[in-house]
Amino acid sequence: MQEELFISGRNIPKIDPSLEVWHFPISLYLFLGGMAAGIIFFASLFTILGKENKVQTAIKPAMIIVLFALSIGLIALFYDLTHKLYVWRLYTTIRVESPMSWGAWVLLFVTVASFLWVFSYFSELFPKWSIKTGWLKSFERYLINHRKQLAIILLPLSIILGIYTGILLSAFNARPLWNNAILGPLFLVSGLSTGAACIILFSRDHIERKLFSKIDLALIIIELALIAHMLMGMYAGSAVQLEALDILIRGEYTVMFFVFVIILGLIFPALLESIELLGFKVPVVIPALLILIGGLLFRMVMIEAGQLTRYLY
Amino acid sequence: MKKAENQNRHIYWNPYFGGFLLGLLILFTFYITGRGLGASGALKSSVVTVVNQVSPEHSETNAYYSKFLKDSNSPMNNWLVFEALGVILGAFLSGALTGRIQWQTQHSPKITARRRLVFALIGGLLFGFGAQIARGCTSGAALSGISMMATAGFISMLTIFGTGYLVAYFFRKNWI
Repeated sequence: MQEELFISGRNIPKIDPSLEVWHFPISLYLFLGGMAAGIIFFASLFTILGKENKVQTAIKPAMIIVLFALSIGLIALFYDLTHKLYVWRLYTTIRVESPMSWGAWVLLFVTVASFLWVFSYFSELFPKWSIKTGWLKSFERYLINHRKQLAIILLPLSIILGIYTGILLSAFNARPLWNNAILGPLFLVSGLSTGAACIILFSRDHIERKLFSKIDLALIIIELALIAHMLMGMYAGSAVQLEALDILIRGEYTVMFFVFVIILGLIFPALLESIELLGFKVPVVIPALLILIGGLLFRMVMIEAGQLTRYLY
Repeated sequence: MKKAENQNRHIYWNPYFGGFLLGLLILFTFYITGRGLGASGALKSSVVTVVNQVSPEHSETNAYYSKFLKDSNSPMNNWLVFEALGVILGAFLSGALTGRIQWQTQHSPKITARRRLVFALIGGLLFGFGAQIARGCTSGAALSGISMMATAGFISMLTIFGTGYLVAYFFRKNWI
């Protein structure tokens, strides 16, 4: 039984002195959004480069995963809302200075564009269900001819989607653990690496797997460097940030963070992927799944631990 | 025949060399953590945790389980759990490096895979039960015990392998 009593002169319902408002749905959404952003990024990048035939998984089956990921993520966000009926109000305003406004709009456009993307591959994905209706047929043909333009639109959107999840958290000045500038790039890189892992998981093509293994390895190394920078930045920070750092390196979430996120979710899969690239036989499912689980746990740790830190003392 | 040979092809090290390395590992563990190794502790912690999740009343009144349930500290928060995790990861890595990762049940060509699994289950049950009575398994009681020159360690080691030799006569048909 751990009790905590504190007296605050402030009373802003749901913000302060509330300690924990965001739970699992938010972490799930951040993970799924990041993963979707990663897959979309690779799919549109290779399309722009004109190398679609080399990455068949990334542009077709993985984009279907994106639709599911975005849908489940949006449902999780909607479930988390207190006033569910007011969800439309997010779309009545655009605030350049609000990460949440950015996120709401980008998510809207990315979801629509991803659906269009998958629709343009509909005949290739489901050859048995041929489209009969005339205007749908011509619409599909139009989309197939404008795939590159769609990719050019999706590429920046996917980067924004990947980075905004981190920026959203770092915009909370009242939460010292989140309030650092590295969180945006860190979540972007983590999202890209989970996206690559997802593509590896569904890929049947040996060459494509190898390519994404290499990409994933590079991303994991960057991610580890960014995590190290984040911790060092906090170590050089003020007392509240040192307290936030303590939660991660000698506190409640240390085991979760170091054992499950860093060792099991980053270092070990990186090791497996590198020995696989050296030519040893490793079932590719294992590192890919570990990276995905590690990515989800990383979001959970950041969300939960971030809400333990505050400026109230 | 070729296939069976291929299936049972071992790329293992010399067992004596492995034993020597294990000794070094135990010395290293004592040097770093100040205690010996154990393998059954992680499983015990997992069992205690599961029982405690399913039925807290039972685990708190039970004389055996309640020993491991200190206030507010989860039994999973135990270094043995992470040691076991590391063993699994290390085994996976070594298997990957020697190309031995595949779904298979190793058994003598004279018996079926199912028989092997059933016997393994029975043996595992007996060993797990015995390890809890003896407060430790081969690594926890015997290896770490002998490395500290504890009488109990020598007794467990002799008993484990002595009983093994005695019982092996009756079950030898499963292997040779």
